[in-house]
Amino acid sequence: MSAEVEEMLKRYQGIKNIVGIIVVDNDGIAIKSTLDNQMSVHYAGHMQTVTEKARQVILDLDAANEFTSMRMRTSYFEIMLMPHDNFFIVVIQNPCD
Amino acid sequence: MNRVLEDVIHRHAANTDRITAENTLGYVVSDNTTGNVAATSFDNTSAQGIVKHMNGILVGIVQSAVRDLDPTNKLCYLRVQTRKFEYLVAPEELFTITVLQ
Repeated sequence: MSAEVEEMLKRYQGIKNIVGIIVVDNDGIAIKSTLDNQMSVHYAGHMQTVTEKARQVILDLDAANEFTSMRMRTSYFEIMLMPHDNFFIVVIQNPCD
Repeated sequence: MNRVLEDVIHRHAANTDRITAENTLGYVVSDNTTGNVAATSFDNTSAQGIVKHMNGILVGIVQSAVRDLDPTNKLCYLRVQTRKFEYLVAPEELFTITVLQ
């Protein structure tokens, strides 16, 4: 499985608009990242808080519903957050315009 | 403040109708300062719940996370995808618009 992950990371790194990809595990530790360590840790910590809260909010609004992903568009770029069972992925990209 | 908001909503009513005629499930417009619902296509209790949870809690947290990462950065909009539908949240200065689709 790790080889697939490496290949996927390499594939997405080539795309011009992507600034960085971070894979974070449940404890908020960045397992894999294409950014430098300090930024990865920084992002991992904040995105973990956001993911937890988002999951709770969606569950509060409708107990049958589930949070699958989130896109945050900021002035400079766009952050996408995809939670899975044991980990979650953060992708930072420059939107096309 | 609420009168201003109502004026804005009235002026954009045609636009709102066009957008909601598309694939959307509904919308909520809420006042940022008071947290009251200004306009909605849902029943009032669900709308209030949405405003309290989404706009109040989640937008605040995302905005502070974005600003922690880069103090000059700010949140422009938020799309939260769930299994059943998607929330599109646009926070502005005075109000926040939330659309479900």
